[in-house]
Amino acid sequence: MLTEHPEYDIQMQAIRKEIKDEVKRKFTGSLAIRMVDSGSCNACEAECNALSNPYYDLERLGIYFVASPRHADVMLLSGLMTFNMTPHVLDAYTQMPEPKWVISLGACPVMQAPFEKTYAINAPAEGHLPIAYHIPGCPPTPEQIIEGLLAFLKAI
Amino acid sequence: MRRLIARYAKDLGEYFEVVTVWYDGIEKEVISNKDPHIRTLSRTHPAALWFERKMYDDFGIIIDDAFDTRPLVHQERFPERIHPMRKAFCKTHIEEVAYRPYKYETIRGDGVFEVAVGPIHAGIIEPGHFHFSQAGEDMLHQEVRHFYKHRGIEKMLEGKTLFEAKPVIERISGNESIAYQICWRDIVLQATQKELPEANRKYHALLLEMERIVHHLTDLGFIPNDAGFGAALTYASRLSEEARRQMHRITGHRFGFGAVDFGAHTFDRASMERYLDTLEDAITFFEGWISDIPSLWDRFDTTGILQRHKALKYDTVGVVARASGVTVDRRDEPFYHAHGFEMQVQSSGDVAARFKLRLAEVKNAIVMLRRFVVDGCDAVDIEEVQDGRYVSFAESSIGELFMSIEIEHGVIERFFVRDPSFMNWQALHLMMPGNIIADFPLINKSCDLSYAGNDL
Repeated sequence: MLTEHPEYDIQMQAIRKEIKDEVKRKFTGSLAIRMVDSGSCNACEAECNALSNPYYDLERLGIYFVASPRHADVMLLSGLMTFNMTPHVLDAYTQMPEPKWVISLGACPVMQAPFEKTYAINAPAEGHLPIAYHIPGCPPTPEQIIEGLLAFLKAI
Repeated sequence: MRRLIARYAKDLGEYFEVVTVWYDGIEKEVISNKDPHIRTLSRTHPAALWFERKMYDDFGIIIDDAFDTRPLVHQERFPERIHPMRKAFCKTHIEEVAYRPYKYETIRGDGVFEVAVGPIHAGIIEPGHFHFSQAGEDMLHQEVRHFYKHRGIEKMLEGKTLFEAKPVIERISGNESIAYQICWRDIVLQATQKELPEANRKYHALLLEMERIVHHLTDLGFIPNDAGFGAALTYASRLSEEARRQMHRITGHRFGFGAVDFGAHTFDRASMERYLDTLEDAITFFEGWISDIPSLWDRFDTTGILQRHKALKYDTVGVVARASGVTVDRRDEPFYHAHGFEMQVQSSGDVAARFKLRLAEVKNAIVMLRRFVVDGCDAVDIEEVQDGRYVSFAESSIGELFMSIEIEHGVIERFFVRDPSFMNWQALHLMMPGNIIADFPLINKSCDLSYAGNDL
């Protein structure tokens, strides 16, 4: 097995404990996230899938991805809010029970990726949904997503 | 039969030009833009259908003898009679119109019912819609409906220089970024009449095989996971994470965005060789382990078969085609052969074949990567870009990628790209009859096609 920047792993260890404590305090130990891709390149989704690999294993901290928006506390929104996806994203948001938050993920939903506005793009997402927090990056690395989730937990 | 690669149009002002790209040549047809009509190719080449439906949406070109005139890219709330790829269209915002239902392909009969899946799926995957006609558990028919992720990439890149377009091109499909960049690179080389030195070419080929390894390893975990064997996902997702970290060590980015360029690079040969040794051991273990789990192969074998004659008829490419016995691979050329490339092919055309093919391709990629390792490469001077029409190909981790860029007055006049997924999505429904709907996710994952690259 390769050993990976161990200093970072130590830093992540501290973050992991903080996340676990925050999830316990604010979401009674379980934070349910519905990931919605509104027109990304699929890199953000790949990095969210990576959060489940044995290196990160996010679920042990009480954060997990759910299949239905009706089970979700948070919508994690990637992509450019395409014209074709916008109604479906809004549907999913409507289906989420209160209280609920939207976190925008990566450069696309805030129109900071190299993509320019076209007829087919409705981003920035803040014109359509209340965005509680933004995790930057193109795509954000798994570490950056974890750090972003902690910052969100602290901010609310 | 001739292999169809792509079919697309271009606005010439008074006229439209319809370009059909075959394996053995390019045909062009010029038609008036007052009353544009063409005839369909879909009777002999079913995969022409999406190209032609897209051509209507993009340009308003009517397909005279079409048997399917439904919109493709433009969905229920898209205004009618707007054709955004016409040069006269330059809006960057459109308003939704009243919902017009889309008429799905369905089979009717006593007890036959429909199942609608998506666009938002249960897992963390891209959005798209699958519409099934069911007799109990049995899938009678499936329609794949996409373009939810349509971003208007082709229009977006018009008027940009090749170098301005690069950051967008490498983000069209994140899993295939290196392949898109290599297509772009080859067009820049053609437009500047430059040859790429051997070391640079090897470095880029190394990146492309690294991308293939990341993608295949991800699938080698997710395919068994969709058959209920989660342990494989745990093991293979560790390997794909390590491959991504190796990509990051080489390029400074986990997906290699920005990595294919004309700059000088130094290369840590020792780190790469260590990495490949570790991967080779892990793959040997993985193969021995996973090949000996009968309950898993019971799910893989004979599930989701695409027969060879259908794979040919639908002009499929890449992993899907090769798993059905069709030897089509853009790496089948002297440069790759000199570095250890061997055409991987399977004959059973089922989930098992697509799984085994990916495993074999990872092993072949390790052989090639050892030969692609260089100490570094020098910068290449890129001079003025010449106007013209250029095409290029690359073999992405999914299959053959085709790109065409036309440059006028130094900027892009028409950008077109055909992701391998665009061909293979159209053949997906052929794998469903005779299977139960519970196996759909498994069959779909065994193909692992791109939605973003398809939808543009």
